[in-house]
Amino acid sequence: MSLQPRPWGFLGSFNAMASPCELLMAVNDEHIARQMLNLAYDEAKRIEHKFSRFIEGNMVWQLNHAQGETTPIDAETLHLLTFAQQCFQLSEAAFDISACPLMALWRFDGSHRVPSQTDIDDALHHVGFAHIELTDTTVFMPAGMSVDFGGIGKEYAVDRTAQLLAQRWPKTSVLVNFGGDIACPISKDDGWQVGIENPQKLDNAAALLTIRQGALATSGHTRRYIEIAGKRYGHIINPNNGYPVEQAPLSVTVLAPNCVMAGMLATMSMLKGPDAEAFLQQQGVDFKVFR
Amino acid sequence: MQLTSKQSIASALALASCSLLSQQVSAADSAESGAVNDDWKVDAAIMYYGEQDRVQAAEAIGNVQKAFGDSSLLDMKIVVDSLTGASASGAVAQSESQTFTRPSGDGQYTVATGDTPLDDTFHDTRVQLSANWQEVINQDWTGNIGVYGSKEFDYLSMGINGGLERSFNKNNTTLSLSGAFTNDVVDPVGGRPVAMSEMVFRGDYGNDADYQAAFDQTRLAGDDTKQTSDIMFGVTQIINRNWLMQANYGLSSVSGYMTDPYKILSEVDINGKTQAYRYENRPDSRLKHSVFLLTKGALDSGVVDFSYRYSTDDWDIQSQTLETHYRYYFSPSMYGQLHLRYYQQQAAEFYQPFLMSGDAIPEYASADYRIGDMTAYTIGLKFGQRLSGGHELSYRLEYYQQNPENNGTEIPGQLQNYDLFPAVKAIIAQVSYSF
Repeated sequence: MSLQPRPWGFLGSFNAMASPCELLMAVNDEHIARQMLNLAYDEAKRIEHKFSRFIEGNMVWQLNHAQGETTPIDAETLHLLTFAQQCFQLSEAAFDISACPLMALWRFDGSHRVPSQTDIDDALHHVGFAHIELTDTTVFMPAGMSVDFGGIGKEYAVDRTAQLLAQRWPKTSVLVNFGGDIACPISKDDGWQVGIENPQKLDNAAALLTIRQGALATSGHTRRYIEIAGKRYGHIINPNNGYPVEQAPLSVTVLAPNCVMAGMLATMSMLKGPDAEAFLQQQGVDFKVFR
Repeated sequence: MQLTSKQSIASALALASCSLLSQQVSAADSAESGAVNDDWKVDAAIMYYGEQDRVQAAEAIGNVQKAFGDSSLLDMKIVVDSLTGASASGAVAQSESQTFTRPSGDGQYTVATGDTPLDDTFHDTRVQLSANWQEVINQDWTGNIGVYGSKEFDYLSMGINGGLERSFNKNNTTLSLSGAFTNDVVDPVGGRPVAMSEMVFRGDYGNDADYQAAFDQTRLAGDDTKQTSDIMFGVTQIINRNWLMQANYGLSSVSGYMTDPYKILSEVDINGKTQAYRYENRPDSRLKHSVFLLTKGALDSGVVDFSYRYSTDDWDIQSQTLETHYRYYFSPSMYGQLHLRYYQQQAAEFYQPFLMSGDAIPEYASADYRIGDMTAYTIGLKFGQRLSGGHELSYRLEYYQQNPENNGTEIPGQLQNYDLFPAVKAIIAQVSYSF
């Protein structure tokens, strides 16, 4: 964790959820800035520890290792699963947090291998949120299925952190940026300057946005893709056929009232492939698409 | 048809995300509120100030700040310091040893040949308490009020202060108006000397009673008071993202007892030989104007400021101060700071390094080098280190030198053999801890 003074206040940073996380705080008091940073760090780590698929013994690990048994869950997990279910339904099964077996086949580690159709067909048997049963206190998931909150968790952590900060310091503008997913709940008069990465030239800003209040999230396969025989396969997999979405944009950035909503619209538009722009225009939100 | 169903996604998502977020915050907030509710800030410091061969002071400082929400701040401070050592009495060095009566009248002390006479009676403990309440009245107005008190053996000071700040121009401009009033009670050891009276010596009298009677003739009964009223008007302007400017004008009016009861002047003949010592006297009113300009900027990895102060008063003391601080962050948790200060002062109209015997005794005179012509400079270094849990440890070391100068007085006879305006060198060391 580090805290550095800046002309406009303080910049706090740390790493969580496999991303560089930043807090831009329009506050002069270092003591308050440190309290804000501590709060953000604690919340990001809490959500990471609870919902990361890679931590043994946590909530998600228990769900994924229930082997057909009904698992008791707490309220927060229920709300996230309910939200994932709503997204599954709204996207007509295109967004599915249970698509893990398919994700596992498409390794974006430079192996340059397209999975066999047999493997894809096998995996498809274990995919489908429709098979998951939710009650107020339990989850039932057929054996062999698993879920991954990767598509929601970071945006959720951003919104949660932003809300906790806004509740405690209702007059101080803070920009919460967890690996490019951003929320700013308290308005800043002259706004925060946010750069959008140029997917053709990574680590360079292609566009500069001024955010006074609100959230934005980016979805894309700028860093995670494979190229086989000149064809680019992004990491966004269509859970209906098991293949990467064709003609998806390089990246989509969406502005919305909160980060969870922005992230979901960005991901859903990626899943629309060539129709990403048309889909976003229908939603009446501000967005930026790179192809 | 398909487009219509898609169109509803945004609003449905907005609803779903709101229900996800609103339910969670209230649930977890109650569990966490206890852990993060920490609005106290405590600073503690120990400071040492030591002049070479002269005054030594050790000081303990405690400061507590407590925020009540975002709009109110209570700041309380206690300072306890202990002073020992000797300070220049105002008398000049001589080619023979000199004997002085102590301020209390009890006993004498002797200063060796050629030495600047220092009064080693100096020994005091001071306790200072202050409290300040700051209130953000609304988006544009901030107010503060405070009380102050300090007590040492021969001095009591009590004060009140208050101020108002008004922001304009999206908080880019701030006007401030503040005022303070202090009432001091001076009750010197041995009583207040009669202005310009001559020091008496036990050796000149046959018995204690005669001496005491003569000594009492040089003293006034009871204590005396001093009132100080200050008013200050300030403007702070943010220039751009990195720089701000501040300008203050201050007016200070003091009335009452301002004479230093422990300071004397040598009365010398044309050979520079001391004939007598007289207790000093200063006017009982003083009106001072001062102007202060500051610019402060944020750099990529540090902060720098420059300031200039000019002050002038009806005692004819004019002073100018140039000061700068440069803070550099070696790492996010460690900084170093350089402090440079230069001060230049022109003597009060009644300042005299000594009196000439035979001349008429002036109404006001003082040989206190602190109101004479002088330059002074400070070079300081400070290091700060952030520790875990928001604690901070800092160390400060400064060198301070005062260089008194002759105000144009012709130096007679033997006095030319001595440095009548010796430099005063001091070291300031401080360790602070904040949590």
